[in-house]
Amino acid sequence: MQNSNKTPGVSRRQLLIGGASLLGSFTFAGPTLAWAKDFEDTPLHQRFMRLSQLLVNHRLNEGVGLRIAAFAAQKHADLSGMIGQIVEIAEQRDATEVEQFFDAIPEGELRDLAYWVIAAWYSGASSAAADAEPFTYEHALTYQTTLDIVPIPSFGLSGPNGWSRPPAPLMPVPRF
Amino acid sequence: MTQTASAEVVIVGTGVVGVVVAEQLLDAGISVVMLEAGPRVTRAEIVENFRNLPLGIKGSASSSYPPKPWAPHPMPRTGNPDEDYLQLDGPDAYAQTYIRYAGGSTWHWAGTCWRLTPDDMRLNSRYGVGRDWAFDYETLDPYYNLAEYKLGICGPADPALQWPPRPRSKPYPMPHLPFSPGEEKFTRVVKDALGYTNLPVAQARNSGTPYDERPACCGNNNCVPVCPIGAKYDAATSLKRLEEKGATILSNAVVHRIETGEGNRIEAVHYYDPERQSHRVTGKHFVIACNAIETPKLLLMSADSRNPNGLANSSDQVGRNMMDHPQMGLTLTLDEPYWLGQGPVVNSGIMETSQGDFRAEHAGAYFRMNNFARNRYETFNALKTGKVGRALDEEIRRRTACTVNVVAAHEILPDPNNRLTLSSRKDWLGLPKPHVYYDVGDYTRRSADVYSMPIARRIAEAMGAIDVKEPTQFAQSKHLMGSTIMGNDPANSVVDTDCRAYDHDNLFLPGGGAMASTACGNSTITMVALAFKAAEALVSQAKGA
Repeated sequence: MQNSNKTPGVSRRQLLIGGASLLGSFTFAGPTLAWAKDFEDTPLHQRFMRLSQLLVNHRLNEGVGLRIAAFAAQKHADLSGMIGQIVEIAEQRDATEVEQFFDAIPEGELRDLAYWVIAAWYSGASSAAADAEPFTYEHALTYQTTLDIVPIPSFGLSGPNGWSRPPAPLMPVPRF
Repeated sequence: MTQTASAEVVIVGTGVVGVVVAEQLLDAGISVVMLEAGPRVTRAEIVENFRNLPLGIKGSASSSYPPKPWAPHPMPRTGNPDEDYLQLDGPDAYAQTYIRYAGGSTWHWAGTCWRLTPDDMRLNSRYGVGRDWAFDYETLDPYYNLAEYKLGICGPADPALQWPPRPRSKPYPMPHLPFSPGEEKFTRVVKDALGYTNLPVAQARNSGTPYDERPACCGNNNCVPVCPIGAKYDAATSLKRLEEKGATILSNAVVHRIETGEGNRIEAVHYYDPERQSHRVTGKHFVIACNAIETPKLLLMSADSRNPNGLANSSDQVGRNMMDHPQMGLTLTLDEPYWLGQGPVVNSGIMETSQGDFRAEHAGAYFRMNNFARNRYETFNALKTGKVGRALDEEIRRRTACTVNVVAAHEILPDPNNRLTLSSRKDWLGLPKPHVYYDVGDYTRRSADVYSMPIARRIAEAMGAIDVKEPTQFAQSKHLMGSTIMGNDPANSVVDTDCRAYDHDNLFLPGGGAMASTACGNSTITMVALAFKAAEALVSQAKGA
């Protein structure tokens, strides 16, 4: 048994995911992303979904992608160009899954964007900060990894007193 | 100033204590007007608020309840005293959470209902510490029964699993909720390795059946911050029924002064509406049930020439003896899945560790394994590892399955130095914010050093923990107690055995503020029992008996 009270070293990626860096570069005053509607079915939206489908090995919700893309576009003037660079890296390897090309994304702005897109899909929010922009609740992919056994809080899985079923195995992760 | 309303009994506060008192009065044919500082909202609004919170703050009990400007309540602290509502001071932060909404803070309670034990009520005579209650357990027992049937508290029928461990005078209205597989495993582990019995929590949640026109719990695992279906009791579920029985409920009505008159009797309360207009509400009897922070704040704010130190405060005990259940929560990483998140968020606990002769030296503690689904806590930790693809999926799943939170909740002694006063900082209406000095004290600290944390570490080891994260300081439990303390001696107590203020014979202050000891279990059921006792006395007084 290991006791880990010590504060671990904080990496650039941890800051990005945790919100500190994203608060600097992604802080967003708008509460609803209502303007994202104007972004729907534009070439950039479609390119963002293509990028997301390469970075995340699961079925993705277009409406959620619209909100994530619109948020990112507000923060990266050259979002389209950055998407193009990452997609090109994947296509050079004929990649269909993230494991096949992620290591080739150069450290720095491109790698940060890739991590951020992945975190946005899994967490459903722009960062871990209290004032992060929410993109989705029930479509956040974190819940899909455990949906065979753990309810999405407030939605439930069972009926009255119906949670005494046998525990699920730790692996494999459900397909989603 | 306008005269807005009048009734035989004026109740300030629409939380569980206020609504329980109100219903007893209404059932006795006594008219009631209730005043609530905050808004009245629907369940659907709160559920949507919760679902629209970003993941990083979904664990916050208060963030689904944004305060109105005129009725501020504690939100996640900023550290800026101009922004924060509670002004905190002392070695430990009395950083509590409560909400000023119609229905009060039972909106976001877990529903846990541990009764006190007889020894919990005689700490001084039994162990030489703290204060004894002004009456014994046998006096409180029938009111506990009333509380269990009013709130719909489910609990075990097996005497070996009941708390306190003594014969019950009445069965629970519903059977206890089943354990999830993880709770079953925890129960086996602590029994086999340490000999402890993990009891089913008695909880205000409908078990397998509707009750009180509310549905059965369906394991939404969202009791905190809001049950989406109302299977958990919260006081908001009673408001419509009270109105059908004749109550007048005024929301967005911030009571800022209690008015005294001849004989130091209470004659009226004054409230601000959201336009900052003041109104006067008169009555024959008054109940202040705003919680153990807002009630003493209002009493102190109401100082007048008859009561220069605040109402009900000839003993100088109003706002003193602020108490809670200081807690230490350990996050464990285990080598086997426990799969928390099935069923209610708190469903079991070890209570026997709260009792014993050691209480002459240090506090007892109650241990529980929280049952919140872990995704909200572990997703960002998994993302920080830098994994992607299948490795990320597996990391999130493993962390969600194999991490748990084990909490030790301690008792604390009443200390007059732990005190609420009126801050010089003002809120939106220009009313003083509460200032609280707080120190959990050596009695509780010693428990963590020599008793509770060593037990918690043994529990962690028995569970197969491969990593243990321990807190470095106490957190608070949101169980507000002590600030209008009960006793038999008016010289050192605020209220008598019926929660009637010694200084004002038509003023009742039921709730956690009256509690003379905390024990380790959650305070609400005892607050409600006190509400029933106070209501009984009030009905008798109002009817001139």
